[in-house]
Amino acid sequence: MFLALAEMRRAKVRFGLLIGAIALLVFLILFQQSLQNGLLTSFVGGIRNQDAPVLVYSVDGQRTVQGSVITPDLEALVRGTDGVGEVGRWSQGTFTVVTGGETRMTGGGGPGEDAVDASIIGFDTEGLGTPSDVVDGRLPTAAGEAIASDADAATGFAVGDVIRVLPGGFEIEIVGLARDVQLNASPTMYVPYDTYLDVIAAVNPDAGTPLPSVLTVRPADGVSDAEVSTAINDRSLELDALPRETAADETPGVAQVRQSFQIIFLLYALVIPCVTGLFFLIITFQKAGALTLLRAIGAPAHRLVSALMIQAALIVTAGFALGTLLYLPVSQQRLGGIPLRFETAAVVLWAGVLTVLALGSALISARRVLAIDPVEATTGTGVGR
Amino acid sequence: MTIPSPPTAVHFDTALHLEPALHLDDVRKVYPMGDAEVVALASANLTVGSDEMVALVGPSGSGKTTLCSIAGGILSATAGRITVGGQDITGFSDKELTSFRQESVGFVFQAVNLVPFLTARENLIVVDELGRRTGAPARERADQLLEELGLADRAKNLPSQLSGGQRQRVAIGRALMNEPDLVLFDEPTSALDTELGEQVMELIRSEMKSRGTAAIVVTHDERITHFCDRSVHIIDGHLDA
Amino acid sequence: MILALRELRRRPGRFATAGVILTLIAVLLMFLGGLLDGLIQASTGAVRAQDADVIVYSDNAQASLARSRIEPEVRETIELLSAVTEVGGLGVVQLGARVPDAGPRDLAGVALFGYELAPTGVPDTPADGEVYADEVLRADGVEAGMELLLGPARSPVTVIGFVSDTSFNGQGALWASPATWRDVLDANRPDARVSGEVFQALVVRGDAEPDDLAAMIDRITAEYHTASATRSLSVPDAVNAIPGVEEQQGTFNQIIGVTIVIALVVIALFFSLITVERAGLYGVLKALGARSSTIFAGLVAQAVVVTLIASSIAAALTIALDAALPPGSLPLAVSADRIITSVLLLLVAAVVGCSFSLRRVLRIDPASAIGSSS
Repeated sequence: MFLALAEMRRAKVRFGLLIGAIALLVFLILFQQSLQNGLLTSFVGGIRNQDAPVLVYSVDGQRTVQGSVITPDLEALVRGTDGVGEVGRWSQGTFTVVTGGETRMTGGGGPGEDAVDASIIGFDTEGLGTPSDVVDGRLPTAAGEAIASDADAATGFAVGDVIRVLPGGFEIEIVGLARDVQLNASPTMYVPYDTYLDVIAAVNPDAGTPLPSVLTVRPADGVSDAEVSTAINDRSLELDALPRETAADETPGVAQVRQSFQIIFLLYALVIPCVTGLFFLIITFQKAGALTLLRAIGAPAHRLVSALMIQAALIVTAGFALGTLLYLPVSQQRLGGIPLRFETAAVVLWAGVLTVLALGSALISARRVLAIDPVEATTGTGVGR
Repeated sequence: MTIPSPPTAVHFDTALHLEPALHLDDVRKVYPMGDAEVVALASANLTVGSDEMVALVGPSGSGKTTLCSIAGGILSATAGRITVGGQDITGFSDKELTSFRQESVGFVFQAVNLVPFLTARENLIVVDELGRRTGAPARERADQLLEELGLADRAKNLPSQLSGGQRQRVAIGRALMNEPDLVLFDEPTSALDTELGEQVMELIRSEMKSRGTAAIVVTHDERITHFCDRSVHIIDGHLDA
Repeated sequence: MILALRELRRRPGRFATAGVILTLIAVLLMFLGGLLDGLIQASTGAVRAQDADVIVYSDNAQASLARSRIEPEVRETIELLSAVTEVGGLGVVQLGARVPDAGPRDLAGVALFGYELAPTGVPDTPADGEVYADEVLRADGVEAGMELLLGPARSPVTVIGFVSDTSFNGQGALWASPATWRDVLDANRPDARVSGEVFQALVVRGDAEPDDLAAMIDRITAEYHTASATRSLSVPDAVNAIPGVEEQQGTFNQIIGVTIVIALVVIALFFSLITVERAGLYGVLKALGARSSTIFAGLVAQAVVVTLIASSIAAALTIALDAALPPGSLPLAVSADRIITSVLLLLVAAVVGCSFSLRRVLRIDPASAIGSSS
């Protein structure tokens, strides 16, 4: 311990640079972990964190809620499928809304008002397509009420806030917040189905009654989600029933995001042991003379190796701590419409992975230390050797 | 102990070499150390003839390294005048000293100090590459020197493939590459046993004498001084010719 | 310099670790850059391809084609402007296309455009019912001469040729006549139907500066059509106004930036350690008359060569990765520009990283070569 610390104190710049490099790598890995999770949650959180076990799209919707339309005959097919317990309607639309609380009389967005895009989802059965994790307030029960994604509470979607939908100025009051229920990386509100129809009518008085985007299904007792999905899909080539998690994972883009980040993580994870390995190899090389001398005066090899490993452990710990510290403020921010979050699980996972990788890479240098022959100290080594 | 050195005319040797290889005139070197000063060299006067070989003998810390460094243009003196091969280097800037070292002096360092990743031949040519490159003539000279030093068949070997004596010879070859006015040997035998040390000194003497090149051999080993034309002793920064 | 390069050749092992790290970092840079380019290309191609000065949206559409509507009267007003030389309508609908021979549930996502003024690389408007398809759709099995069935209404269109880099919203574009677009929209998206001569946006060519032209158009439409004023953007501005484009660029560029800083630190670390290790050797070389500048130039040369070798390997790996990925799986666009930019950035990092060792090289005293035994 004494040896390890003394050396680090003497060579502050060198060890500082290494700690800095590791901290930056850790920061990048954690930041991108947050980014990945944030991206996925903001795109498909509204599917993953609602309580219908099975979603039925139209094949033409290509597994997106906004592209899917369920015609009455398709709905009848689903309702008539064996193994189907309960069926609900689920409709989604993207609207321009203004936040800002108090009611105004103007029809359009007045000057200074912030018009934003928001997703509004209408559900017709509570417990079948409603947010599963209500963190504040309650689910909407009356007309004109909504539960919103908690990530947007600070931007005018908190409980008690009133949202106006443009054009028409239809008003919706937020009565609850649910965790991770965004769709399409925009603020998302769940409203009773009739309210959804009212919104459509207010925005475009000429529009007829819209068809539901998706049907939400709960299998009958004793039937699994997969079984009911297969049964529904067998009814028509126009129907695309998917269990909840599959529906989230199969949303276009989700697999691409995952795959891209996997490659990125793999590369960063490879860089870290290379950097630490290189570092310890070179400093071991460089102090070979001193190590030989220490061996000659009777320092046991394992002492020198443990000094090395202690340094490696200290550096990883310091680098990781610094990187996490850099990551902490960044993880509290939003990136465009994507809320980031401090990913505790990722921090713990990467701490473990990186410690193993860094210590493993330092072991290469340890082998070199073990190979030192103390006799060399007495014979002396010329430069030409 | 008396040194059986052949009496040589120091100042004016032969008609051909009018300029001495080295002339130190009241050279002083003082290092500041905190508030005090350490005198490394006190009023040194020394003249080395154009083909003379001088042993500079003294214990460690006596100032012989300082004197050697000043003569070789590595260090600047605090006071006094230094002339090497007729060239007055007293007021030279660091840059001028650098080119002076490239062109006018040769060094053989204590630990030999060959570039470990270069072959014997390349260790000679490197001198040319550091300065104004001449290319082909330098390569010819390197081959010629290796031949003369008996290393022709070792030209392509790395230092690690050479024996101690062979490495010493490569170092001597390197020092001679720029046809120096003066070659400085820093403890050339310190790492060698007596027998090998004598062989090396024999080699140094024959190489210097056959070329008519002046040399200063820094040593603390009285046993080898008889290879030189004369010995100069230095103790606590004071020269005693 | 020659000395430094010879060392690289004689002792490649010494530089191998640094080379491996730089190779990994270079792959990272090129991969991240390629991903960014791919994402941006896929979402902006159709807008970028517009061969026009200005794109006109309706004021409340937030530069989204799907939400924008331009009435024929507004178009007439714009055509009155003397600076305006040509005006063309533009409209899009995103649908699933059924490709012959593909599975009944395997739809290709397409964006069907109706256009009047041909975008760059797209021929003039084809006959009704015919389309030019973007090359990215080949990955879905689309071929020339094929009849695609669009949307739940199975509206048929025939592919008569291919165009490139015109994706919209990550989907391959089909370029059709305005009438075809209106028919397909009407059949598949009755809620978004547009009547008669209505378009979603106009592309305008003129002989004023695009920004001035945009301002003129918005001023005149605001004056004559208060209820349906326009918001006009130059093509580059319209590209940036596409949701996510600026965020993606910002995020990726920051990640790339920090990765380059890491490369810089790695190089700084590596060469400062190399210099420490070489202190004795440099002392000797200086005593022999080597200038600090010569020694430092050697270090820089080594860093540059190691970086170039690492970059070449990385470029090869990135190209191989691109080739190995099945088409359409990742939006990776590997381009020479991106590779060259990454290499240049790395070279700058290499030289800057090296310069941390400059002080140490300058400080080495040639006198250290004399009077020391090691």
